[in-house]
Amino acid sequence: MSIMWVWLVPLAIAQQQVSGIVSDSSDGSPLPGVNVLVKGTTSGAVTGLDGNYHVNVPGTDAVLVFSFIGYQTQEVVVGTRSAVNINLEPDLSTLSEVVVVGYGTQREEAVTGSVASISGELLRDIPSGNVTQALQGRVAGVELSQTSSRPGASMQIRIRGTRSLTATNDPLVVLDGIPFAGSIGDINPNDIKSLDILKDASATAIYGSRGANGVILVTTNRGQKGQQARISYNGFYGVREIFSKYPMMNGPEFMALRQAAGQYTNALDESDDVDTDWQDLLYKSGTITSHELGVSGGTEKGNYTFNAGYFNDQGVIPTQQYERFSMRAAIDQEVGKHIRLGFTTNNNYNITKGSQVGIYGILSMSPLANPYNADGTWKRTIKMPLDEPWSYSREVVENLKDEWLSETRAYGTYNSLYGELKIPGVEGLKYRANVGLDFRQSHGGDFTGEGVNNANPTTPSSASVSNSHTYHWAIENLLTYDRIFAQKHMINAVALFSTEQTRFNSSRMAARDIPSSAFQFYNLGYAAGEITVDPSQQNYWQSGLMSYMARVMYSFDDRYMLSATLRSDGSSVLAEGHKWHTYPAVSAGWNIGTEPFLQNSNVINMLKLRVGYGQTSNQAVNPYQTLGLLSTRPYNFGNDTYSTGYYVNQLPNPQLGWEFSETMNFGLDFSLLQDRLSGTVEYYITNTNDVLLNVGLPATSGASFVTSNIGETQNKGAELSINGLILDNVGGWTWEAGLNVYTNRNKLVALASGASRDESNWWFVGHPINAIYDHERIGLWQEGDPHLDILEPGGNVGMIKVKYTGEYNSDGVPVRQIGPDDRQIMNVDPDFQGGFNTRVAYKGFDLSIVGAFKSGGILISTLYSSSGYLNMLSGRRNNVKADYWTPENTDAKYPKPGGIASGDNPKYGGTLGYFDATYLKVRTMTLGYNFENTPFIKNIGIQQLRLYAAVQNPFVMFSPYHRESGMDPETNSYGDENAAVTSAYQRRLLTLGTNAPATRNYLIGVNLTF
Amino acid sequence: MKSKHIKKYTAAALVALLLGSCSEILEEQPRSLYEPGFFRTERGVNGGITSMYAHLRYIFGQAYFYNTTLTGTDEATWAQSADANFKDMDLSGVGSITSTSSRADVLWGAAFSNINTASGIIENAAEVEGISDALIAEARFFRAFDYFMLVQTFGGVPLDLGSGELKFNNNPVRTSVRNTVPEVYTKAIFPDLLTAIDDLPAVGRLTGTATQTLARLYLAKAYLTYAWWLENPNNIPTYPETSRVDPDGKDAQWYFQQAYDVAVTAIDNPGPFGLQETFYDLHLGSNDRNKELLLYADHTETSEFYNGASLTFSNGGAPENFAVWMMTWNYTNIRSSTTSDWSNVISSVQREASQDLGRPWTRMAPPIGVFENTFADKTNDARYDGTFVTVYRGNWKKGGINDDFVYNANDMRVEHGEPILTFLDEEPSTPINYPNGAGKSNIGAGELPGRSDFVISPRGISRIAHPGLWKLGTYRTDNGDGLGQPNAASTRPFNIAKFSELYFIAAEAAVMGAAAQGGKSARDLINVIRARAGKWRWDNNGNRAKAEDNSAAMVAATPATIDIDYILAERSREYFGEGYRWYDLVRTQKWAEVASTYEIGGINYGDHAPVKVNRTIEPYHYLRPIPQGQIERLELSPEELSAYQNPGYQ
Repeated sequence: MSIMWVWLVPLAIAQQQVSGIVSDSSDGSPLPGVNVLVKGTTSGAVTGLDGNYHVNVPGTDAVLVFSFIGYQTQEVVVGTRSAVNINLEPDLSTLSEVVVVGYGTQREEAVTGSVASISGELLRDIPSGNVTQALQGRVAGVELSQTSSRPGASMQIRIRGTRSLTATNDPLVVLDGIPFAGSIGDINPNDIKSLDILKDASATAIYGSRGANGVILVTTNRGQKGQQARISYNGFYGVREIFSKYPMMNGPEFMALRQAAGQYTNALDESDDVDTDWQDLLYKSGTITSHELGVSGGTEKGNYTFNAGYFNDQGVIPTQQYERFSMRAAIDQEVGKHIRLGFTTNNNYNITKGSQVGIYGILSMSPLANPYNADGTWKRTIKMPLDEPWSYSREVVENLKDEWLSETRAYGTYNSLYGELKIPGVEGLKYRANVGLDFRQSHGGDFTGEGVNNANPTTPSSASVSNSHTYHWAIENLLTYDRIFAQKHMINAVALFSTEQTRFNSSRMAARDIPSSAFQFYNLGYAAGEITVDPSQQNYWQSGLMSYMARVMYSFDDRYMLSATLRSDGSSVLAEGHKWHTYPAVSAGWNIGTEPFLQNSNVINMLKLRVGYGQTSNQAVNPYQTLGLLSTRPYNFGNDTYSTGYYVNQLPNPQLGWEFSETMNFGLDFSLLQDRLSGTVEYYITNTNDVLLNVGLPATSGASFVTSNIGETQNKGAELSINGLILDNVGGWTWEAGLNVYTNRNKLVALASGASRDESNWWFVGHPINAIYDHERIGLWQEGDPHLDILEPGGNVGMIKVKYTGEYNSDGVPVRQIGPDDRQIMNVDPDFQGGFNTRVAYKGFDLSIVGAFKSGGILISTLYSSSGYLNMLSGRRNNVKADYWTPENTDAKYPKPGGIASGDNPKYGGTLGYFDATYLKVRTMTLGYNFENTPFIKNIGIQQLRLYAAVQNPFVMFSPYHRESGMDPETNSYGDENAAVTSAYQRRLLTLGTNAPATRNYLIGVNLTF
Repeated sequence: MKSKHIKKYTAAALVALLLGSCSEILEEQPRSLYEPGFFRTERGVNGGITSMYAHLRYIFGQAYFYNTTLTGTDEATWAQSADANFKDMDLSGVGSITSTSSRADVLWGAAFSNINTASGIIENAAEVEGISDALIAEARFFRAFDYFMLVQTFGGVPLDLGSGELKFNNNPVRTSVRNTVPEVYTKAIFPDLLTAIDDLPAVGRLTGTATQTLARLYLAKAYLTYAWWLENPNNIPTYPETSRVDPDGKDAQWYFQQAYDVAVTAIDNPGPFGLQETFYDLHLGSNDRNKELLLYADHTETSEFYNGASLTFSNGGAPENFAVWMMTWNYTNIRSSTTSDWSNVISSVQREASQDLGRPWTRMAPPIGVFENTFADKTNDARYDGTFVTVYRGNWKKGGINDDFVYNANDMRVEHGEPILTFLDEEPSTPINYPNGAGKSNIGAGELPGRSDFVISPRGISRIAHPGLWKLGTYRTDNGDGLGQPNAASTRPFNIAKFSELYFIAAEAAVMGAAAQGGKSARDLINVIRARAGKWRWDNNGNRAKAEDNSAAMVAATPATIDIDYILAERSREYFGEGYRWYDLVRTQKWAEVASTYEIGGINYGDHAPVKVNRTIEPYHYLRPIPQGQIERLELSPEELSAYQNPGYQ
């Protein structure tokens, strides 16, 4: 070095040396690692640990460029100065480049695990009351599926597929550093600064067993140090309209079906010349409203933020609504040089109403029935051939709002406190204690007045109250050591000891015959009828987790990165002697882009290769599974001796241990063409062993099931996300676009028993967990098709034809009838799926579109399958529009009405509910205008003002289901909900059933800061 | 200062966690659930015993299981709204019995867990203070009861659930080995029942609990059934295959004699039990749980929770008692008019929570033979009137229609409460004027000159219109002036065992060669039942008092020599529609002989031409298939799985 220096001196006659200190403007602390570049040259320097730098500049007009990740770049004319001290302003806009990795942050370049980040701003491109709705289609490998279309519903989150068969597959949500015990709907999306999603095991390993299904780190907004107080308001208002009605038959269509079936004739209230659209009589327009007001600011040593929000979502079914009041505050304060304290509190109170109103009653109502009496009054009940349902409409439900109601009021408070101590004398060493204290309580009440929702007007009223409480605390002790040696060796080490405990209890009581309907559910003690406290509805559990963890992250020159983690978890829910598990994770990264051979490339700005391996584990079974379980059976001995019986339902498992996964992850991050095109490609394999399972036992074992470690599963997948800046301020136009595509291949690798199939649970080695085991529909039996009598004894022409896999005798005649052995294994998972977004801006205007798509897989619609009782094809109740077989219409999809049945439905009617799940949906289109650059706005002190209009769920393309039914092809129910028969599908298989209809929403909104 | 405090607290918390509560955090204490160890307490034993009674509801009154006991016999076939559950069991070419379609799975699914709970109680009770032998005997009775039901239905079944023969199982095995029929009888059923007879009280501990008489009835019936199995007159196969040799070295005759002796002992020592005065009283809703009833799956309208089923609307699933809906046809389709020109038609018989009406599902129908043969005598024998609803009476006022009378058949007036439709006892001498199709009555019923009620004769009944089943009908006391809650499942107990059956068992054993005691020959015993059947105090369908004693005529009509066919016919008269028939025909191996053909009208209103239907009843049908759910949950090789299934169903 010195030789070079000497050699250079003679040439640098006009040069002068400049030195100085670079510090953080907010707290004045020195900033190491800041790039100091002489503009227009390649010469420069990097600041040392004390923020010092020395650089030679060519002359007095030289300009120094100070740049550092997370700070605004500053350019300074040197002039004649020899010392230039600079305060760098933290750059809020580049905060996304700092990635929250759990127990710390990392610069994006240094990340070696698989972490996807999304800023709060991007999330708010989709105005919504629930973060899960805003996240759909935004991140590769993160699948969000709708589980309910009711107001206030959250979506199901799956990160890289389904690993576990019985244990939960929900990811861990960490809110401001503390594992979140609440409902994700309790988080106000407006409060979110960023979401960081840890996808692979090397990234999640620090969360140990809690992170087995991925981790979503939610960071909420905080004030900035030294920032002037700012007030912001965000609000939107929107209207919800039905996306499409459920495709039920109209009067003439239903009349034709009833005649074709030949089983029922019109009942007293029915007439062939009537055509009633019951759905029109029920639905109304819904609204969505959101207001959020915040203030934030900072002092020299601290900062604060405070937000209050209100959200109201009224559905299209009368009385269905969700309302949320939220309040949030965060404070950070430095005390002296070494201590920092902080506190965050997130509180919300929400009310969900209207679950008493189902729509099966409306959908199944005969369109041939006139709801009005001759004198124009509403009929209480409708006499149909076998049924006499209570009849309701929008007006009926709204008029009964004090007589027929269901509501849940929940209050949640999620609080975290921390204290941080810089250990004096050891540079870079910090101790931090995090304490999380959460409490959520929910109170539910139902009341059904006398005769309401019942054919008999004197049916006694009924009421119920339920309560649940969740208590959660967590204490984490962290030692972190963060230092840079010799300017190039960056080390970050963390050691953790943590304990957490959750306690849940719930109770429910119900009563019949409340003497005054004014009481609703507020005083069950006055019930004239029975008061029931059903033991199966009282619940208590407590579970605890203790953990030790250590992690070291090392990076050399931002070029080579290594991260290693070891964690040990002990869980209360597992069997004695099997409670603890220790697992490692390691990952490495290579920033190829910083190698000399690429450093000056015009094409490649960044290229990073990442490889990770890690183990995680899952203990997310319900507490007390190791002990076995007695279930209760109430009984009466005569009319006045009551007793509750117990019997063995679940056998104990004294060997119940951890389920664990091993993941390999390969990732490539790139940024090309002056950072105009950037993206990530990843590939992973996760092998899960000792999968926790509720195993259904044969009846001859004397019990229903046992929770056990059984089997191995595998998930393999690839993910691609690309973001492009297509036009960068070309004549005022900017155009950005992003796309993510991902695929996950899931399969069951082995069952511990060595068996290759478990038909009762629909588990088959070599096939995905989300499989359906059912007959395969190959058409309809037509006149003259051979062997109908052998294959389908009692069958008829026009019935559903399913695949026969049995043998044939030498004459080509099937040897047996079609039976359970002919069922096929069908994969529900899509081939690939993803999302896209694009944004075009011109001057103050911007237009953005966000969409999602899915290709392949099976959509289960219980509207069309047997379990929905809406496709009985018997003419007993209204039917979905179905192109059914008649002697004149043999080329139909649906079987002959009134043909062979299984239960009340056509034989093999379950197969009618399977559809190709492919779709492409534009989720939101938003047109906005920013007033920042309008002088008038600036003059009155407004920092930011944006107005926008958005339409949500505008259209669906490429969906076979949408083509047939006109419906939104997204699922709206768990497998055991919103169908007449709820035992047909495992809960994990999401279905489209008789939930609130999907809506299309039109919104206008404003964002304002001053 | 502040920071020091926080540090102090944090440190204190940390120390506390490290030292004090490490193990506590990882320990479990359930507070809202019982684990199986609870059976080792006195209250646990009591709760376990209660669940044995409650488990009856998952079998008896469950309509699909009810269907397997009747559909396919001479008592029932499928009705107009029948689904495959019913058509399959009929064996008449409209479906087939397979491991997935057979609804005997209901029994399989409920019995083993109860057997296991019983074994748990029997084992644990020995360690618990204060548990009487009488209480344990209730568990023994139920273990034997379930094994007896299983062995009659499926053949041999496993005695080892995973922890050894008749041991409480807490070992989650997914294998199973079936024992043979004689092993199930001699190792499980007989020893448990013999102990139960010794230990059970003469008078039940609570209303409807097990007694000595009940245990005697089941032991007698088990001996009788096993004796038939040993005798095997029609060479019906058994499974798992075994020779018809008793492990205890006794022969069929010995067991017939035992059956006779035990049954007669029970008759001679009735305790609080005995026959009702009339057959009508036996099944009258207000007289439920009477002294003739030894066992029932109880229900109540006094508590929805303990009833185990909604008191307002039921869906048709266990533990609801919804069996009677099956043979209830849709009488609500009957129409009358409030105007003489039939311009305002009403439903004159509305759905009501009463014993003659109730909720219609139209799934099962009695064939014509029931009316022409089984119940040929409808005048002396009160059992026809006490079994069926043959007269449907107007109840429109309860449904809110205020007219005092309606125009009905022949445009004649019918007052509220008077007959709208009558199923005639005999073919009338004047031909009935039936409509084509549904006609004025809307259900295809005909008219007879001078009668204001619509009529259907025995040969005119069909799968869509036939007499209803009064004996199991709904009975509620909370209807007020209205129709009540007809859509709720029945809140009456579903009867399982009656004192009267002791006479039949002893008679059957005597017919099969058991030596009879003096005055207790087969004919003597049957005549006790027939004499009672001749007694009337109320004309049920006529809705009026009728004090008549036709006992003498009934006894006089009894044949001099009773054979097994006569016993079977008499059993059908006594127990029609109660779920005995398939078991009776299978035990005596008479199913194919008795039930291979039947006659009934079609599925449309106005179908009054009887159609003769043939059934294909093969020897293998005498055992029901092992349910597919059991097969699927077993971890056995394909060969073993195949061998686990009963022959004919693999």
